[in-house]
Amino acid sequence: MIEPDTIAAPVTPPGYGGVGIVRVSGPAAGTIAAAVAPPLASPHHAALRQFRDSAGVAIDRGLVVWFPGPGSYTGEDTVEFHGHGGPAVIDALYARMLELGARPARPGEFTERAFLNGRLDLAQAEAVADLIESGDAAGARAAMRSLEGAFSRRVHALRDELTTLRAWIEAALDFPEDEIDFLADTALRDRLDALIADLADMRASAAEGRRLVEGLTVVIAGAPNAGKSSLLNALAGADSAIVTDVAGTTRDVLRESIHLDGVPLTLLDTAGLRATDDPVESEGVRRARAALDEADRVLLVVDSAGNAAAETPELPSGAIVDTVRTKIDLTGESAGVTDTDQGRVFRLSAMTGEGLDALRAHLRTLLGTGPEGGAFSARRRHLDALDRADEEIRAARTELVETGAGELAAERLRQAQTAIGAITGETTTEDLLGEIFSRFCIGK
Amino acid sequence: MQHPEHYDVIVIGGGHAGTEAALAAARTGARTLLLTHSLDTLGQMSCNPAIGGIGKGHLVREIDALGGAMAQAADRAAIHVRTLNGRKGPAVRATRAQSDRVLYRQAIRARLESQPNLELFQQAVDDLIVEGERVVGVVTQLGIELRAASVVLTVGTFLGGRIHVGDQNHGGGRAGDAPANTLAERLRAMPFEVGRLKTGTPPRIDGRSIDFSALDVQAGDEPRPVFSFIGSTADHPRQTVCHIAHTGPSTHELIRDSLHRSAMYGGHIDSEGPRYCPSIEDKVVRFADRDHHQIFLEPEGLDTPELYPNGISSSLPFDVQVAFVRSIPGFGNAHITRPGYAIEYDFFDPRGLQPSLETRPLAGLYFAGQINGTTGYEEAAAQGLIAGLNAARGAVGESPWTPRRDEAYIGVLIDDLVTRGTREPYRMFTSRAEYRLQLREDNADLRLTPTGRELGLVDDARWSRFCERETAIAAEQARLAELTVRPGGDAAIDLANRRGVRISKPEPVTDLLRRPELDYAALAAAPGIGPAVEAADVAFQIDVQAKYAGYVAQQRDQIERDRAREDTELPADLDYADVQGLSSEVREKLANHRPATIGQAGRIAGVTPAAVSLLLVHLRRRGDTLRRSA
Repeated sequence: MIEPDTIAAPVTPPGYGGVGIVRVSGPAAGTIAAAVAPPLASPHHAALRQFRDSAGVAIDRGLVVWFPGPGSYTGEDTVEFHGHGGPAVIDALYARMLELGARPARPGEFTERAFLNGRLDLAQAEAVADLIESGDAAGARAAMRSLEGAFSRRVHALRDELTTLRAWIEAALDFPEDEIDFLADTALRDRLDALIADLADMRASAAEGRRLVEGLTVVIAGAPNAGKSSLLNALAGADSAIVTDVAGTTRDVLRESIHLDGVPLTLLDTAGLRATDDPVESEGVRRARAALDEADRVLLVVDSAGNAAAETPELPSGAIVDTVRTKIDLTGESAGVTDTDQGRVFRLSAMTGEGLDALRAHLRTLLGTGPEGGAFSARRRHLDALDRADEEIRAARTELVETGAGELAAERLRQAQTAIGAITGETTTEDLLGEIFSRFCIGK
Repeated sequence: MQHPEHYDVIVIGGGHAGTEAALAAARTGARTLLLTHSLDTLGQMSCNPAIGGIGKGHLVREIDALGGAMAQAADRAAIHVRTLNGRKGPAVRATRAQSDRVLYRQAIRARLESQPNLELFQQAVDDLIVEGERVVGVVTQLGIELRAASVVLTVGTFLGGRIHVGDQNHGGGRAGDAPANTLAERLRAMPFEVGRLKTGTPPRIDGRSIDFSALDVQAGDEPRPVFSFIGSTADHPRQTVCHIAHTGPSTHELIRDSLHRSAMYGGHIDSEGPRYCPSIEDKVVRFADRDHHQIFLEPEGLDTPELYPNGISSSLPFDVQVAFVRSIPGFGNAHITRPGYAIEYDFFDPRGLQPSLETRPLAGLYFAGQINGTTGYEEAAAQGLIAGLNAARGAVGESPWTPRRDEAYIGVLIDDLVTRGTREPYRMFTSRAEYRLQLREDNADLRLTPTGRELGLVDDARWSRFCERETAIAAEQARLAELTVRPGGDAAIDLANRRGVRISKPEPVTDLLRRPELDYAALAAAPGIGPAVEAADVAFQIDVQAKYAGYVAQQRDQIERDRAREDTELPADLDYADVQGLSSEVREKLANHRPATIGQAGRIAGVTPAAVSLLLVHLRRRGDTLRRSA
């Protein structure tokens, strides 16, 4: 086998297919399968498993298929996770694979490996080359798109600052007689701290920006009969939810995908959140709670007509909640938006559509396409790169400040720069030396 | 006229590359001839009188680990020795010795003259004998023809040199030697890419004219570091001190006012000089905010008052040199013994070489040293050793050996040169080595001596010293691996009392060693763990290997993962025009560089991971089994 590292990627198109598949290929495939979906399934059999995150919490439930090499598509140990098709689930699963040591597969890489391992015949070689070539071009275009604007500027600024700090440290290590020993300098520490803070901010922004490609999950929550399904229908413009006036009608999580300005937005209407003895309804409540946990945003529907059950539903702490009063056609309130300490309150009529535009505009803003959005596009690979860089820079700070080991801090920062290089392109030793020689007077 | 003897290897040049090349070839058993224009300058230090330094000291230790001469000669000439970065981590510590030029030359000459299989011959070489695409011998100035299976060319010290002082210039070689112009002309006519580089030297000063009371004194380190793994301080001559001076604002003003008269700034030189060794003119211009620059006064030897003022190389006219030197505090009456100058010289693009240092256009011909665009004795010697070794192996049909990037700085040096080339005189820095944490001075022997032994480079005496040390380290590590410190036990209480270490669960001693607050000496002093080994170098290895274990293991994993791809050979007959999907730019780069392996291809600037994939797919389509290089 020519390439012994482990790669992972979703192999179904992004979006809301019934099933989403994440494939992992390479020597770690077996251990990853056993860690995420224990116990390891028998070879070539689909087994129903819970997919778990690092804390053991379920990400999804689905089928796992284990193909030990060489009897697999790529010829290497391979495992496939067939989960529910939603982007949030697929992304969480993909992120988990990377966390367990896989690296994101390049376009066409599964097929490339299949070919290199003799799993495809020679006639298919041309197709493989085409795939790599077009995948590379498409990947480059996608990277270019996501690298335009604010994200690009920030990543390049980050790369430059990292190069500068590496230049300080490397200069101190390589030129100890040149009066440039910064290792104990508080300025170095301060700038590392600033870099860490900046990176945290970028990761937050990038996670938000990812939604441009993969969508945003908004949960509509509220007490039974508060008008959640009506709001979903109004936003979706389709009569996919059963709307009745009997409390407890909506027993399942209803999923609707709509596009706002071409960007996908997933709305999950939840069953009315209340304690109940009805086994079917209680299952609905359980699913609703799970949906709330994976939500990017919660729209809490409050019955402004005063005829819904009185209790306020429990919401997960930390959820970002907007309140929507949906029945102004009945209450006579005026349509509009008010900011309060508890968040934003929208007043609208799901029935007539009055005031709905303000809510749509708000959702667009959350997606990063509106005038207030500071978000930008970045794909999972970029997030992965930022995560790795963050981990290394923090470790570098520890080595520098607590252990006082400049050479170990330097190694961490080198790794951080390699990670960032996945986004910006490689920073070579020549670049680094250029930075050192332009910045410092070297040569005793 | 034909020389009566036939050699396996002829080495041309008696500098640092040439002497290591000749010694290495002869050590492996090849019948070797060293040709030089002057036997009196064998092992001459043509620039500053020091060996080692950061990155360079690493190279010296590696040369020593492979049985080379440089470390032992440096020990015999060392008159002031320091460990640079002594308070930083072991990976970036490096030995540097001020060297008495005469003692150094004598040590090298003695080594050459006692080496079996090696003969010396004083003759300038004017031409190479080429048959087809193979070099089969050389022709000397007297018209003597010498034949050999392999020829190593190390005539780089200022090939086609031109010396500049102010607006004056003349042809010249190293340190007053005539330039090797006839050979330079011949080589220019051969299929090599020629480039031009520049470097400079400072004016030398008579120490008797300096007021040392105005300067800082720098003594050597105690205990005194030793270069060779089989050396000791008993090899050292009498020790001396160095001094540090500083330029001041008046010096800078003088230089600024005369810039238009310098060879560099007056437009007489346009080749690339080294950024890490700028002239004093460059420093004053580029770092205008600095009010002083350091000058290290390096003694030229024990028996001469001449000093090498490192830090003020200059191509200003002589009258300006005198004026600015005398403006330096302590230098009011300074007498210049040799004017400073800038020199331009030829080099051959090292991307025309294979990793063995054999040239691509002409089989049997090897290049080493400054001819390949490097600067520094250590870089030259390292290449010389590898070129000499491979010339000898090639002469008897054996496959070449060059260390990998993760094995040695020598590997980093050669890989950088042959895959990336250079635009300025190439000097080693530790920041060039991605595996810096495992490429240390302290373990150069552990990394290389076993391979050197297999290659025939390491003699019995060195080998037995090495085995003794390696065994002692392994034995102590094995002993410690059996020990555990338990909470509440004698050792735990002792460590808590002496070092404030809390031990709350049974901890293997090997794990405790990795803690930043503990070291081998502290642990070995605890009851039941000691006694510590007596050999300081063994104790040091125990500590260093434990401290770096996590990082090194991680890097090893990475190396192992990359190895398959790294070592997959690209066949010499590969036609890149046939590789489907490559952009014309990448195709051209690969065709020009002709990387030996997939790993090298990937390090060429502009060759993307997708291009590497396409190469692999192409190899497979050709029906090649993907072969790992040796």
